[in-house]
Amino acid sequence: MARPWLKLLPAAILVIVAVWEVVRTVRAGDDVPGDAAWAEAAAAVRARHAPGDLIVFAPDWVDPVGRMHLGDLITLEQAGRMDAARFGTIWELSIRGARASETRGLTTADVISYGGVVVRRFERTPATVTAALVDRLAGARTDGRRAAGPSVVLAEVGFTPRRCVQVTPAPDASVRVTFPAVPLGTTLVGYAGLADVFKRREITAPARLDVELDGRVAATVTLTNASGWSRFEVATQPGPRDVTIVATALGAGARDRQVCFAAEARP
Amino acid sequence: MSWRPPPWLAGVALALAAFVAVVSTQGEVGINRDETVYMHHGSRYAGWWIDLVSGDADASDAAITKVWGGRESTANNREHPPLVKTLMGLSERLFHDQLGWTDEVTGYRLPQAALAALLVWLVFLMAWRVWGLAEGVLAAALVMLMPRPYFHASIGCFDGPIASLWFATIYAYWRALASRRWQWGVGVVFGLALATKHNALLLPGVLGLHYLWLAYRSEHVASTGPWARRLGQALRSTGRGIVRRRPWVIASLAVLGPLTLYALWPWLWHAPVSRLGDWLGFHLAHVHYNFEYLGDNLNTPPFPWHVAVVTTLVTAPVVTLVGAALGTGVLIVRARRGQATDAERAPGLLLALSVALSMGPFFLGSTPIFGAEKHWQPAMASVAIAAAVGLVWAARAAATALAALRPRSPTWLPQACAVVVGGLAVTAAAVETGAAQPYALTHYNALAGGAPGGADLGMNRQFWGYAARGVLPYLRAHAPADGAPAAPVYTHDAQPAWGYYLRGAQRGATLPRSLPDSGSEWSRGIEKSTWALVVHERHFARHDYLIWQAYGTVAPAYVFRVDGVPVVSVYRRPSP
Repeated sequence: MARPWLKLLPAAILVIVAVWEVVRTVRAGDDVPGDAAWAEAAAAVRARHAPGDLIVFAPDWVDPVGRMHLGDLITLEQAGRMDAARFGTIWELSIRGARASETRGLTTADVISYGGVVVRRFERTPATVTAALVDRLAGARTDGRRAAGPSVVLAEVGFTPRRCVQVTPAPDASVRVTFPAVPLGTTLVGYAGLADVFKRREITAPARLDVELDGRVAATVTLTNASGWSRFEVATQPGPRDVTIVATALGAGARDRQVCFAAEARP
Repeated sequence: MSWRPPPWLAGVALALAAFVAVVSTQGEVGINRDETVYMHHGSRYAGWWIDLVSGDADASDAAITKVWGGRESTANNREHPPLVKTLMGLSERLFHDQLGWTDEVTGYRLPQAALAALLVWLVFLMAWRVWGLAEGVLAAALVMLMPRPYFHASIGCFDGPIASLWFATIYAYWRALASRRWQWGVGVVFGLALATKHNALLLPGVLGLHYLWLAYRSEHVASTGPWARRLGQALRSTGRGIVRRRPWVIASLAVLGPLTLYALWPWLWHAPVSRLGDWLGFHLAHVHYNFEYLGDNLNTPPFPWHVAVVTTLVTAPVVTLVGAALGTGVLIVRARRGQATDAERAPGLLLALSVALSMGPFFLGSTPIFGAEKHWQPAMASVAIAAAVGLVWAARAAATALAALRPRSPTWLPQACAVVVGGLAVTAAAVETGAAQPYALTHYNALAGGAPGGADLGMNRQFWGYAARGVLPYLRAHAPADGAPAAPVYTHDAQPAWGYYLRGAQRGATLPRSLPDSGSEWSRGIEKSTWALVVHERHFARHDYLIWQAYGTVAPAYVFRVDGVPVVSVYRRPSP
């Protein structure tokens, strides 16, 4: 028989795969730290944590475990943040080599591992916020046909929590929310998206968000079921100005489009 | 002369082992949302039949409608055929209510376990009869040792049973190709499959294509000439083959199948055509539930064409998949060389068509995918048989090679090779299956990296809310003491099962009455609750946020995990 060892190959592969599968299955989860490691890491964070520090977890799926150990240090406002720019100190607790999107591009030497939970502390200059629209809704003026809102809610947008102004225009209608005399800086940074996964399943018609400064459209964002929490940024002249957010449900079929937005004026 | 056990005894032993294993482990599997519906209606269906037989009920349309149907498309669960539900109800009535041998939930689940054992038995029979005893034993073991199918065999739903009755139809048809007795049986078995779940509607495609091929091949004579003439000759020879081969099989499937469905489903008795139309219409327009796949929450077509392939690759035991790939190659090579076993009935083609028709609809991008592998579970019997063929072929090749390398090798070398290769494969599949239970919908195979690997890939974590079973010990430990005010629980996706837990319907999963359900999200259940659960699926994230606002905290008190992956969070309302 020519090269009989070749005939051994299929059986050898099967044996190797079987042994590998047993080992890998038995050890699955071994690299996911347990509560003892999380408690140790949480104690280290608590020892140096200051009010206003942001705590994030990676990967996303371990977030409930992180909140179980450190959730008392995370306010609802922080959990539903527009973005992480206004936080000068970010604590990242991660496992299995994952990284949080909030710390992308940041570096630190302040890294300690506690039984597989890697704690990184990032320091940076936070964005200064001269005004946040969600905090100014009480003084805003609203016009246009709408099914609900505007109101400040903690909504699900793109499967993430977002504290935002939510307004639901009537189908094929626009709602104008005008925030008078907003103390603008050089930029207005904002985000918008469509809330509620079930509405996103039922309705396919998109919505649009226009940002008007002193009556002029400065930015437009199209909101689809897949667009998630979409960022916009507008260059602004410093000083108090009226900011109008126009939410439009595009088309007669665009019912229940829960347009959710937040924006911050930054110097 | 010493007695040698007949080979079929191995199949019986494996089937019995499967039944015992499923029955003894199902008690750890929580009660799922849909299962509560089937248990409830199963008891009503069973009661109706008993009343009918004992003369206490009539079969008027009005009487039937009260139990079996109604105006709404889901009235009395008429959107699903009745066989398994009826068996569940009868089983619970006998084994729990009358004999007291099981708890209530186990009583409902026994028919699924029995049908899983039937699948093991039939897979053994077919693989043994066509390819040999070793193939039969391995195929029977591997078809049971699959994490997700084992899970579905453990619960009172239809996905395990339809996999069994789908294969039973395949088996009966294959037998019918050579047996007059089976050619009537196949129609009845097909009818039982129809009465189990609508997947069975795809079976005529499997059997029809296979029969057409046999018909064509049996009568076909190579011809020359223009293509139109050749096509005409092929059609004529196929037509002759259809008539000459086993026409009664077709008649049996076409007549006895629907008749069996009709007989078992009283809802059809007074208006069969319109009510069959309602049944099919419901599933053709089925809502698309949310389902996470490779990081995306899918709830609207078009879905990726590769859902069935990728999901199978990361949920079935890897060694079974490798073995199946090898076995498929072996069968193709043998067929091309004219060495196929039982070439007259082409069992390999039959099993391949079974896979193709089971999975095929999911390549369209429009078929609902919300149950993942359970939707195409009938394909897995073919996978197990192909794997067994591959494993045995590899073991025999290894034995031949070792004998060539070492001419004075022992006579038991072939058996030893089979035991090593087959034994290790079965061990690997068993380890995967064991590791997956009882939260198998969270489990992903070694290729994916287990549950954490599945979570990293962004694959669905679970569905049906059954995993709430995992937080019951925590809640029990923190339940109000006797005499203290109740602590209502927002039970989220476990709400349908909560009543069963409160009344102790499942042994080991009883909750004290001091932990009642606080009501749904829409009846202010969160606001009224002291405890709140979130069953983690991607689209359920909003329940976390609702609870954060109601409780004023983002910190769960407890997170139940599978291999470190969060499955259910429990929040406790902070003291005022």
